[in-house]
Amino acid sequence: MAVTMTVPASERTPGKSRALPSALWPWLLLLPAFISLASVSFYPIFNGLYLSFTNRSLITQDNDFIGIANYVQLLADPPFWNAWWHTIWFTVISTGLETFIGLAMALILCETFAGRGMIRAAMLVPWAMPTVVTSKMFGWLFDGQHGIINFILLHAGLIDQNVNWYGSPDTALTTIILADVWKTTPFMALLLLTGLQTVPKSLVEAARMDGARAWTIFWHIRLPLLMPTLLIAGLFRALDAFRVFDLVYVLTGGGPADSTETLSTLSYKVLFSTLQFGYGSAVSTAMFITEGLIAVVFCIFLVRQIRKTT
Amino acid sequence: MTGFKKTPADSKMISQSIMLDRRQLLLGAAGAATLSVASGFGIRPARAADRTEISFASASFFGKEGLGDLVKAFNESQSRVTVKFIELPPPSSSTEVYQGLVQQLARRNGTPDVFSQDVIWIAGFAAAGWALPLDEYFPKDKRAEYFPGTVAACTYGGKLTALPWFVDSGMFYYRKDLVEKHGGKVPETWADMATIAAEAQKAGDAKFGYLWQGKQAEVLICDAVEIIASNGGSILSADGKSSVIGDDAAVEAIQFLYDTINKTKISPQNVLSWDEEPSRQPFTSGEAMFMRNWSYVYPIAQDPKASHVVDKVAVAPLPHFAGGKSAACLGGYQLGINANSKKREAAIEFLTWMSSPETQTRLALNFGLAPSRPAIFQDAKLKAEQPFMASLQSVFTGATPRPITPQYAKVTLALQSSISKALVSGNVKAELQAAATQINKIVG
Repeated sequence: MAVTMTVPASERTPGKSRALPSALWPWLLLLPAFISLASVSFYPIFNGLYLSFTNRSLITQDNDFIGIANYVQLLADPPFWNAWWHTIWFTVISTGLETFIGLAMALILCETFAGRGMIRAAMLVPWAMPTVVTSKMFGWLFDGQHGIINFILLHAGLIDQNVNWYGSPDTALTTIILADVWKTTPFMALLLLTGLQTVPKSLVEAARMDGARAWTIFWHIRLPLLMPTLLIAGLFRALDAFRVFDLVYVLTGGGPADSTETLSTLSYKVLFSTLQFGYGSAVSTAMFITEGLIAVVFCIFLVRQIRKTT
Repeated sequence: MTGFKKTPADSKMISQSIMLDRRQLLLGAAGAATLSVASGFGIRPARAADRTEISFASASFFGKEGLGDLVKAFNESQSRVTVKFIELPPPSSSTEVYQGLVQQLARRNGTPDVFSQDVIWIAGFAAAGWALPLDEYFPKDKRAEYFPGTVAACTYGGKLTALPWFVDSGMFYYRKDLVEKHGGKVPETWADMATIAAEAQKAGDAKFGYLWQGKQAEVLICDAVEIIASNGGSILSADGKSSVIGDDAAVEAIQFLYDTINKTKISPQNVLSWDEEPSRQPFTSGEAMFMRNWSYVYPIAQDPKASHVVDKVAVAPLPHFAGGKSAACLGGYQLGINANSKKREAAIEFLTWMSSPETQTRLALNFGLAPSRPAIFQDAKLKAEQPFMASLQSVFTGATPRPITPQYAKVTLALQSSISKALVSGNVKAELQAAATQINKIVG
């Protein structure tokens, strides 16, 4: 340092006396971050993509490049499409319900009332619970023999005999969706609550003075201003719901009759039970692409929304 | 995967612990010190080099002692071989154990020299060329000392590629008091079982006649193998190159399971979402007359804290169809030698010791793992200490392996899906024939 200080400025010819041009410095400083990111993020993604073009299997010891053969097989694979539709159905219904209920909860929590802080904290309990615990809990709640849900419904006269929630293809996926809604609605409510708090109070007050009713205030002031938050929260939730694994794995294992098989459980089975890394990577890549498409749809709406408001 | 629940599923991490006792460790350190000093003087080091060191990888089983203690006992029993124990996760984390083993064996570097494996992996390891054929070391007369079903499960492509270690299998639990009340005879055919169960249900003695496991999981395949084999059918043809699950014997068998829910109504619809534990609970709380399950249930049924049916429960071989023979799905872990091991003689010595009558008796007494040698069931000490296990000889005699194919992992997923569909929809023939087509593609 002392040396560079003593060198007169006039003697420096830019770009020649230095080993590196100044434009390169920022890149050089970014390099460690890039390398660490690349090694834990890009490398696995590209390696997974590469694997999906091979027939790699730990058991048969194959490891050849086979082009798009895996994808051709995938497109004609009924279990894959079965799982794909279940996953889409799960994502749409659970995200929809969570947004709707979450919004209602956020609107209530936005008002001032006694004990609001307590309620806000308590509300987060389901979300803070490990999903495996939630799964076991719902397993007991909806147990076909001793479950309290059956008990209540039976005594309320809504059903005339115990329903086998997880043993029937008609109800298994719905029950899993319910468990997911219970668990993640608080997360949605929390995100939307922060969004609601950014809506200027003055606007709401002005509307009230003009004699607007609660519904009008919500529909014309709060909802439009909440829209970007709503879309971002929906995007997060949808991408998260699409990866559903623990609930299915613990509660049904994909059954009965494949009625709750989702892409995550299917790829887990292909990858880690049968150790077909090639085909399993193709399933994962298809999942990745579908998630990308969902994200794009949300982003289109989001960009439109932002353009509208700015 | 085989339904062993003796060990809790605590750690999912593959922990490697080197089980050497302190004395040997000190000796080793002293040996190393001597080596460095001695080599300076040109003296050939003795002791340390005399013992061949091999490694043994296994899922961790424990009871009164652990596998590490067993390995230690072997190391102390002789002075030729030192075994290093590589501990894999407990058998309840079967998928992780499988992955751990496959990763090590696929390296083909000879580690581990000896390993234990679930019965359903044997064919896969053999086909990949990872398991050493053992025929020359264990000729026919030695193989005759084991249950025939376990030897069949250890044989792939006409070669013995694993050595039987310990077994478990499906078995028929019944309530002694209820059987006494309804005819006094333990049913031997499925039809009799259904009749008696329906009677008991009608008389209000039991809420459920018969409990089994219909969850879309590995246990469903075990239940299916048993009932199909008890009708003279099977899942794969004798050569293993095609599936015969669409044949009448199999269809009739699965139809019987469907009927237990929908026609004879001796089983609740809930069995379709039950694996071992959910089906065990109603039985030990006294709500059911018959149940198919593994051997782990018995100690629970005899525990007054957990059971309402203490001393009222007994076990028999599973029923069969008229003209068929009782079959029990084989579980348990068997031993194998890495084909790439460079220390074969030492590995064989350890393998022989592990599967010897003495070690198997010790496994039975201290670990609660049932021997694969019928002769041990006559052992006086076993009869005194583990009377229940000693009574299981007739059950294990009917032990039937699941399909023996290197593609088992794919076959079982296809089967789980199809059989579950058959049991839900009732289109048994159509679903099983679809399964046969699918399996033909996998194994053909």
